[in-house]
Amino acid sequence: MGSLFFKIALGLYFLSMLGYITSLVVRKVQVAKVSTWILFSAFAVHTASIIFRWVETGHSPVTNLYESLSFIAWAVSGSYLIFQVKTKTRILGAFVSPVVLVMAITASARLMEDTPIPSILMSSWVPVHVLLTLTGSALFALACLSGIMYLVQDDLIRNKKAYGFSRLLPSLRELDRINNICLVAGFILITLGIIAGSIWARNVWGSHWQWDPKQIATLISWILYALLLHQRLAIGWKGRKAALLSIIAFVILLFTFVGVNIFFVTVHNFI
Amino acid sequence: MDIILVGMNHKTAPLEIREKLSISCDDDTATVETIKTNSHINEVLYLSTCNRVEVLAHVTKTAAAEVYLKNIVFSHGNLSPEEMARCLYIYHNDDAVRHLFRVASSLDSMVMGEPQILGQVKDAYRRSVEREATGVILNKLIHHAFRVAKRVRTETAIANNAVSVSSTAVELAKKIFGDLRGKRALVIGAGEMAELAAKHLIGNGIPKVIFTNRTYERALKMANDLHGDTVSFDLLEEALSDVDIIISSTGAPGYIIDEAMIAAALRRRKNRLLFIIDIAVPRDVDPVLGKADNVYLYNIDNLQSVVDDNMKNRINEAEKAETIIDAEMLEFSRWLKRLQVVPTVVDLRSKVENIVKGEMVRAGSWMKNLDDDERENVEILVNSIINKILHDPVTGLKEESENGAANPYVAVIKKLFKLD
Repeated sequence: MGSLFFKIALGLYFLSMLGYITSLVVRKVQVAKVSTWILFSAFAVHTASIIFRWVETGHSPVTNLYESLSFIAWAVSGSYLIFQVKTKTRILGAFVSPVVLVMAITASARLMEDTPIPSILMSSWVPVHVLLTLTGSALFALACLSGIMYLVQDDLIRNKKAYGFSRLLPSLRELDRINNICLVAGFILITLGIIAGSIWARNVWGSHWQWDPKQIATLISWILYALLLHQRLAIGWKGRKAALLSIIAFVILLFTFVGVNIFFVTVHNFI
Repeated sequence: MDIILVGMNHKTAPLEIREKLSISCDDDTATVETIKTNSHINEVLYLSTCNRVEVLAHVTKTAAAEVYLKNIVFSHGNLSPEEMARCLYIYHNDDAVRHLFRVASSLDSMVMGEPQILGQVKDAYRRSVEREATGVILNKLIHHAFRVAKRVRTETAIANNAVSVSSTAVELAKKIFGDLRGKRALVIGAGEMAELAAKHLIGNGIPKVIFTNRTYERALKMANDLHGDTVSFDLLEEALSDVDIIISSTGAPGYIIDEAMIAAALRRRKNRLLFIIDIAVPRDVDPVLGKADNVYLYNIDNLQSVVDDNMKNRINEAEKAETIIDAEMLEFSRWLKRLQVVPTVVDLRSKVENIVKGEMVRAGSWMKNLDDDERENVEILVNSIINKILHDPVTGLKEESENGAANPYVAVIKKLFKLD
């Protein structure tokens, strides 16, 4: 059942992406509205597939890279839908839906394989750690996307090309607000996730912190995000600089997520 | 039986002639009343704005009605026939319909795509309806025109994007700030353009505009006119940190806002975005600021080029609109042609219905033995039979009428069914 639902969700994600891109080309809000509903149903079906998977396998559905990707895709589309309700910035969907689709397709490659789970992942801290960090990463992904849109809109207005494509993008203030909310919420979740991870680490490896490459990379991205938040909240950074840093920080976070496992030997070798 | 449209607009008539006509703008209803009394004219709509005069009428004797309507326009403008001959246009039937659709959709307006004209057509129509000057044909036609205007508005981007400098400034401000409610604007210097932009900002939700001027009295006057506040010109630097939009149009020879001033203001305002519109020539604001973070600087040429691009875009969209209008015109003309066979269809139906009624009465003597349900079933049966029989000839007649070939069939039906 989980597998069938996931395939349906994949198809719906694809349809919603087509819809959003069409809405960009034909410049009709109506098309984007329909796409949002398709994305919503994709999200609902995806939710069902994750729950089924959880029940069918009997363990949390985030124990390997593919499951995690699927979960992040789910979290990104869910957070986007919340923003959509709050801010009516449908156009963000044209940026979000391709990202979600690519993650979901990558996940689909080996999602439903029943690989044996390493015994250290049997702890009940694992789902807490993983769900918090992945949802936090999903929010950082949205912060990055709104940052990219901010830079595009900023560039269009600055270079006096504020017609055509620029009409479709939300206002700078709105984009900056989304970026800010995603950063704050994402940072809280990631921080809690790291704490949960260190408690689990003490249980399985004997200490809270091992100076493992994965942990070091995580620390670097965490510090970057902390710095960005500090600049935003205390110094009053806004707009372009904040958008740019949120993009850079996310690239480093992505490296932490997949790059470390490829280039380094790490004890954190499941994801 | 024709639809004709006599009129003149900003393209055909120079301003002095349109001025003479617009003097009579106010007594529109009287004009409708007068035209209505003419025996050749069945229905009439009289539209008069500052840029155009249009008389749309459904008439019986085309030539005579045309002469009469021309005279009406002549006498109103107090114009010589020579003057008029140059400016007037006369359209018949399909062309008249197309012209009305183009006017209502704002394709024929001086600023193409401006929305006022549709409201003016609606007002003119209301006045005609109040005087009972419209009937089946104009009612249908004008409602059709409203529908066309709506289609053009929603299906093309003809009314999108600002085409004046001050509305462009507002549109840009919305791109930066989203909602303008709660934002503050500062106007430096006086001048018509600054005042216009300030009015536009107020109209779009800016609660209060602050005015400043080297001559304090002038700032005070503008503030009084537009219910704004003033700030002394010496305090300009402090004022910069509290406002989100700055419109500058002083006559100063050099820059009155430089990089250092804005950098200090940005620090005080914690980098909140700042939109500066410099419409002064020579410029008031150091152009270097166009590159500063969180500052968006537009000068008069920048605004004008946005306006030009938007105008080009509207012209492209107008082509799409013309296609819509052609299709709608065709549909209306089909309806109009079908209308010609309507009296015959009505006569035919009523004749058959009378026969049914008569036969039902005659059958009353034996039908009284039936109960209510059975009697009702007999009536339903009879009616469905006549409907089935009439369906094909009536549809055929309507189809032929759309091709304009209904006359011989109408004659035959009238003769065979003795409809006269």
